[in-house]
Amino acid sequence: MFNRTKDIKLSIIKQIELEASKYPDAISLAQGIPDFDTPEFIKRRVEKALKRGVVAKYSLSPGLPELRELIEESLEKEDMYYDWEKEILVTAGSIEGITATIMAITDPGDEVIIPEPTYTSYREVINLAGCKPVFVPLREDRGWALEIEKYKQAITPKTKAIFYCNPNNPTGTIYTKEQLLELADLAEQNDLFLISDEVYKDFIYDQKEFFSLAQVPELRQRLIRIFSFSKAFAMTGWRIAYLHSDERNVQEIIKVHDSLVTCAPVISQYGAMGALEIGEENIAKFSHKYKQRRDLICHRLQRLKEAFDFVTPDSAYYIFPKISLKLAKKLEDGHGPLLTEQGRPDSWRFAFWLLRKAQVAVVPGVAFGPNGEGHIRMSFGRQENDIDQAFDRMEKFLK
Amino acid sequence: MKSFFKIFLKYYLKLITKLVIQIHRPLVIGVAGSTNKNFVKKEVKARLQELGVSARANPKNFNTEIGLPLAILYLESGYNEYRKWLPIILKAPLRIFQKDFPEYLILGLGTSDEGDMEYLLSMIKPQISIITDITQRYKEGFADMDELVREYEILARKTRKNGTLILNADNYRVKKIGENKPQKVIYYGQDQEAQARITDAEKIRTGQILKLDLQGEIKEYQIPKFGQHHIYAFVIGLIIKKVLEDKHGKQKDKGLPQT
Repeated sequence: MFNRTKDIKLSIIKQIELEASKYPDAISLAQGIPDFDTPEFIKRRVEKALKRGVVAKYSLSPGLPELRELIEESLEKEDMYYDWEKEILVTAGSIEGITATIMAITDPGDEVIIPEPTYTSYREVINLAGCKPVFVPLREDRGWALEIEKYKQAITPKTKAIFYCNPNNPTGTIYTKEQLLELADLAEQNDLFLISDEVYKDFIYDQKEFFSLAQVPELRQRLIRIFSFSKAFAMTGWRIAYLHSDERNVQEIIKVHDSLVTCAPVISQYGAMGALEIGEENIAKFSHKYKQRRDLICHRLQRLKEAFDFVTPDSAYYIFPKISLKLAKKLEDGHGPLLTEQGRPDSWRFAFWLLRKAQVAVVPGVAFGPNGEGHIRMSFGRQENDIDQAFDRMEKFLK
Repeated sequence: MKSFFKIFLKYYLKLITKLVIQIHRPLVIGVAGSTNKNFVKKEVKARLQELGVSARANPKNFNTEIGLPLAILYLESGYNEYRKWLPIILKAPLRIFQKDFPEYLILGLGTSDEGDMEYLLSMIKPQISIITDITQRYKEGFADMDELVREYEILARKTRKNGTLILNADNYRVKKIGENKPQKVIYYGQDQEAQARITDAEKIRTGQILKLDLQGEIKEYQIPKFGQHHIYAFVIGLIIKKVLEDKHGKQKDKGLPQT
């Protein structure tokens, strides 16, 4: 019984949130949700659709044609050319798109390479498909960069895909064009798929350049790119996203998508249309705000430099500081110093210690892969007030 | 208050737009259909620029009772914010005196309810009208498909008598609109009767290759985009170019991406 699910874990982020809910004054820097509400123009677009009575029925399985056409137009602005009729699929959030993709392109027993630390749910989806996640560590000392040599070593005859998040959650890293092209070369040489989750690509700071392999037409049969409206338009609850690739891949992925959800929620598809019709200005507003918050959280972490070391994120709204070994040795949670058996700072115990002592929720780095151990993820999707209060509390215990 | 403001805005913008059109007398190319309007507008604009004429197209969804006049007047939308509308209302009359008003306006015409097309065409009279296709998209505002098709019939009827209708021959509803019309009618598509006939199309890694028989002249083209709608858009651009070449001369032609 439950053979398929027995090795699948509930997200550590959700577990932390659940624990934090027991503390009435807890401040959560754990969950990766924007504090903004969905913009008014999106709500109005949905109201209009409701009034016209067009949201009650299923849409076509790949999504409303008018939405897919808008998606194609928005992709074209970023030098990505995909046919809305056959190559764009609207999904119920990016995780549904990811699940449908993995299920479509793999067979049980295949391996999927994931640079880590990275988003927690990738591992579970790969496990669910009966495949094996193979973690390849990112180089923290080079700003969490991809190290191509390690990918070469990780490839086996069972490898089917390399699956990365760019910009990366939890590190906020943007992979360089050179790194990505090298990864693409490797995929070409070994006949692998590339899955690129780009949900944070709209929040880029300090004029850093962002490049997507979907801009390379020669890679379109190899690459599946996923994008979500959740972060860019503060629509996490609407569960709406899309993926695109060459029709050869999309026509297979759509079979799984159809079995899983029939179609993405139609009401949310109208919301997504509103987002694409007039949402650009809003993204700039969000991005500006996140940049201010990133600067604030870096400033506050700087004041705790005895406790944490960190790489300034270039994107997204996460920071992934490393817990100082000295601090972990000094702290005590009733079971001795906060160290793992290997003598590294234990991120899980540290996160719980912090929650109990300071009532600040953060995500243990180990949730993002073995290389994330010794770190914590903090979200600056929260308001400045919350960030300041959380750090005021932490300073009392960590300084 | 909200609906009163909308009514005021609608008629105010219409009045200014009619004045602007009367004074500047641009040639209007109307683009209608259930899909592909924006890609067609882009292609047409690119081809007109090759001919060295000035042209402006309406931004993506500016094709309704408020959007169309804004596009003609080259103004932003205030969307649902009153304070944003104030400078727009003040700026609108200044367009009457605008220098360098474009020679051509390429305007998407949206219709989602009965009467929409009639209203839009009370502001403009297209010299060339393009109908990309008619599908069940936006059908919810109409009693049936016949009623929806009637909107496009109105467009054909109100296009200048010495003008041109460019119609998709692969969509039988669109094809039928071209019957017994006083304007010059040019059909495009794979249909045997199309004057701009796509005889072959092939997808390659970096785009598509198509063969086009344009009134007896067969040429091969390569486009960097995917999907049949881009082939249609490209062909429409070529037709427009051919139609207007005599008017503006071939000397400014910068050529097309021919293989």
